[in-house]
Amino acid sequence: MGDKSGDLVQGTLDMLILKTLALEPMHGYGIAVRLEQMSKGVFRLNAGSLFVAFQRLQRDGLIRSEWKATENSRRAKYYALTEQGRKRLNSETREWGRQVAAIARILEAS
Amino acid sequence: MEGELDEELHSFLEMAAEEKMKEGMSRKDALRAVRLERGNLEVTKEVVRSAGWESFVETCWRDLRFALRTLSKSPGFTGVVVLTLALGIGANTAIFTVVNGVILKPLPYPQPGRLVMLWERQLSGGTLGSVAPANFFDWREQSRSFEKMAAIDPYPDFILTGSGEPRRLVGAAVSSQFFSLLGVRMALGRDFWPEEDRPGYNQVVVLSNPTWSQYFGGSPDIAGKLIRLNNTEYTVVGVLPRDFSLVSRASDFESRNRFDVWTPLALPSPPEPWQRSAHALCVFARLESGASLRQAQADLNQVAANLQRLYPADDKERGITAVPLAQYVVANVRTALFTLMAAVGMVLLIACSNIANLLLTRGVTRQKEIALRIALGASRRRLAQQLLTEGIVLVLFGGLLGFSFARMGVPAILRYLPADLPRASEITVDGRVLTFTLLISLLTGILFGLVPLFQSQRVSAQDSLKQSGRGMAPGQSRLRGALIIGQVATALVLLTGAGLMTKSFWALLGVSPGFQTEHILTARLSLPPRYTNGYKYGMGRHREITAFQRELLERVRNIPSVRSAAFTAYLPLAGVDNSRSFDVEGRPAKPAGVYDVTKYRPVSPGYFETIGIPIERGRGFEAGDVEDRPLVVAVNESMARMFWGAQNPVGQRVRFDNGEWRTIVGVVGDVHYEGLAEKPGPEMYIPYGQVPNVEARPIIVARTLIEPTNLISALRKAVSEVDPSVPMDQIETMKQIVSTSVGQPRFRTAVLFVLAFLAVFVASIGLYGVMSYLISQRTREFGIRVAVGASTGALLRLVLGQAVKLVSIGISLGLVGAMVLAKSIASLLYGITPFDTATFASMSLLLALVAFAASYIPARRAASVDPMVALRYE
Repeated sequence: MGDKSGDLVQGTLDMLILKTLALEPMHGYGIAVRLEQMSKGVFRLNAGSLFVAFQRLQRDGLIRSEWKATENSRRAKYYALTEQGRKRLNSETREWGRQVAAIARILEAS
Repeated sequence: MEGELDEELHSFLEMAAEEKMKEGMSRKDALRAVRLERGNLEVTKEVVRSAGWESFVETCWRDLRFALRTLSKSPGFTGVVVLTLALGIGANTAIFTVVNGVILKPLPYPQPGRLVMLWERQLSGGTLGSVAPANFFDWREQSRSFEKMAAIDPYPDFILTGSGEPRRLVGAAVSSQFFSLLGVRMALGRDFWPEEDRPGYNQVVVLSNPTWSQYFGGSPDIAGKLIRLNNTEYTVVGVLPRDFSLVSRASDFESRNRFDVWTPLALPSPPEPWQRSAHALCVFARLESGASLRQAQADLNQVAANLQRLYPADDKERGITAVPLAQYVVANVRTALFTLMAAVGMVLLIACSNIANLLLTRGVTRQKEIALRIALGASRRRLAQQLLTEGIVLVLFGGLLGFSFARMGVPAILRYLPADLPRASEITVDGRVLTFTLLISLLTGILFGLVPLFQSQRVSAQDSLKQSGRGMAPGQSRLRGALIIGQVATALVLLTGAGLMTKSFWALLGVSPGFQTEHILTARLSLPPRYTNGYKYGMGRHREITAFQRELLERVRNIPSVRSAAFTAYLPLAGVDNSRSFDVEGRPAKPAGVYDVTKYRPVSPGYFETIGIPIERGRGFEAGDVEDRPLVVAVNESMARMFWGAQNPVGQRVRFDNGEWRTIVGVVGDVHYEGLAEKPGPEMYIPYGQVPNVEARPIIVARTLIEPTNLISALRKAVSEVDPSVPMDQIETMKQIVSTSVGQPRFRTAVLFVLAFLAVFVASIGLYGVMSYLISQRTREFGIRVAVGASTGALLRLVLGQAVKLVSIGISLGLVGAMVLAKSIASLLYGITPFDTATFASMSLLLALVAFAASYIPARRAASVDPMVALRYE
């Protein structure tokens, strides 16, 4: 299977989904395609991992969902960031930045 | 939810496929490619679904660990709560175990709902009575709504010989379908055959399991063996299962529902005429499947009408009543047991409100934690789930500990159970008890687990964060106040109930039984058949019996430290009784079916003097009152008053069943035969040598100078010297008999007393805690008041005023509840009215005093506060 989400650092999928949704509300497939595009094909996500993540984020109140028509007038569930989700994205982005910088420093030091 | 996920995934795949089709793939290839890339639809659904479930379990697990961590951080709080719960739940479980075994459990027979007991009923009085064998015979013939009907005669005794010293075995004679009616299968051998239930063919026995193992070594080939009972050979046909017990009211079976041997009743067909006037049987029946009790009763009414017409002399005034067995057996103990259950439930309620109070106090400190978490975005549902988990962890620990308390406590309760409690053998800690414990535990957990949340609902996150822990939510003190009022009210209900029971019990103990209870030893002797000439129901000779009695009494009186000794056939308060109809000489004959009835007591000369019944008029019985001398009787005061009024009955004559006239020679004092609470009725005493039918189980009564139990072996020796084949058992002092007779009121009084004490104790702890807390919240205020000149007394009044207000509301509500309780236990009270003003007043006062003490201590502390300390207090 073409699932490369296993390559994702644990816990980062949630952050990436939040980031994707920070621009505009999107449906599941849209999110998958956007992640692939932005990562230049590095992350190709299996539907299972994706939807489990959607449920988790929704339960924690970070995203909310709504059924809407797509541009091709198909019905799809659109996900959008909540206020909490936005805060979480900010804090996680900051944290991520700090961690990456720290890891980089460690790796370069040797 | 499921459908939504389906639809969402489906549209996901469609969109992905459309993308591929744009690149020129066929729809079929596109779908396959998508499946390869993104995973199979079904598998995906499964993954998503199970992830949802896993995360629920994970959340629960997280909450559980969090709860354990939080609780272990405050071991004092956790300990108090768990212990309080364990006591409350343990007490409830223990009492429930008793109620379950005695009342709630189905009877230990198949399809117990169809089992009924049938009784004769006096049409005028309505009291239920034992059944004449001939009536039973006709009922069985003529009724149509019963699958089976069987009778038991609980009186025959047997003397077992042939293996060591002679033993009395308690016997029962049953008609042929008795065991199959109850659905009992023999553990060994077989049930009686119908053809064995005939006179002359009934020398067969079924053994109880204990008898089989105790006297026959549990030998597996006992069936078919001959054993010697009353000097006759009987064939053992079967052995009852170990767990068989005949469910009954003890009083119906002479305080003994544990029969050792069973023989066929063997009624002649048709019965003899005299068998219509000797009322000695208990009748069991199994309703035809589908027949209702109402139908059965209508059927019986018809049978009764029939018999009234056919046998007016005996049955003119007699009806038949069917009572469901389960209901009949426990009718006398229901109220008492349910009262205890309610009482113990109230104790748990008080304990719960104490815990709720503790949680509230703790909640103030946790308020900030909760508010913080709400501010950080935790949903109220998540918080509720977590608090609930904490509550449930607490009660599960409490419940577990309580259950083990109950398991330890039940054997202790069993030891103190009244001897005549029906179905006591069925009281066990079983699955139903466990379920009950679990249920009340969870219920209490949910009840108080949500209190802190309830409280947090009232406070907005900001308010709580701004406050530095000093302030109190506005609704809080009101909630606490309500809890205190509830506790005080509930405690008063229990206290009043216990007060009434105790007072009633004292009144009962204060009843003078009419005889002496100190220094009296009693024992039952069983005379072998040669004394009675194989008598059965008919007339017999008493020469041998009186000779034996005379010789034994002589020996017993010669034992040093025996003051006097005598015989009687029935001891007072021992649950055994007999009555007869009689005529008074010179009075007009009664219409058919109407009789004067009196209790009937064969006694030997010297009985009144020995047991201490005063002779009011005339004389007692003398050595000369024997078979061939003029027939004499003595009557008690009630009988004298009832039948002769102001006239002196001495010299008047009475007779039984158109027999010879007997002259009244004395009037003796009334005795409480049936029970201390029962009014004495008319009684007639007859000298042993002159009784119209033979009594082969005399009870020897000895009055001693020393502790009566010290004389048991001397008594036994005297009996075996006169006749070694006479077994002696049921050795009791009169004090023991009196004590056993009040076993039920003593048990319920003691339990209620303990519960009331617990309730007051727990409630006063609660009051103390709440007062301390309320005062600590106002320490600054008090400091200011003192600083501006308030006196200690003024502060004390201020604080106590608050307590007095709560307590007096509680007491007023409690009085209302107490009246409801008093009304429902009215039937259990003796010698006082349920609304006994003195009890209500004194219990309210007692509770008020305890409550005052519980609030005075913290109030005193508050009033003596140092203003400087108080103002700095934070």
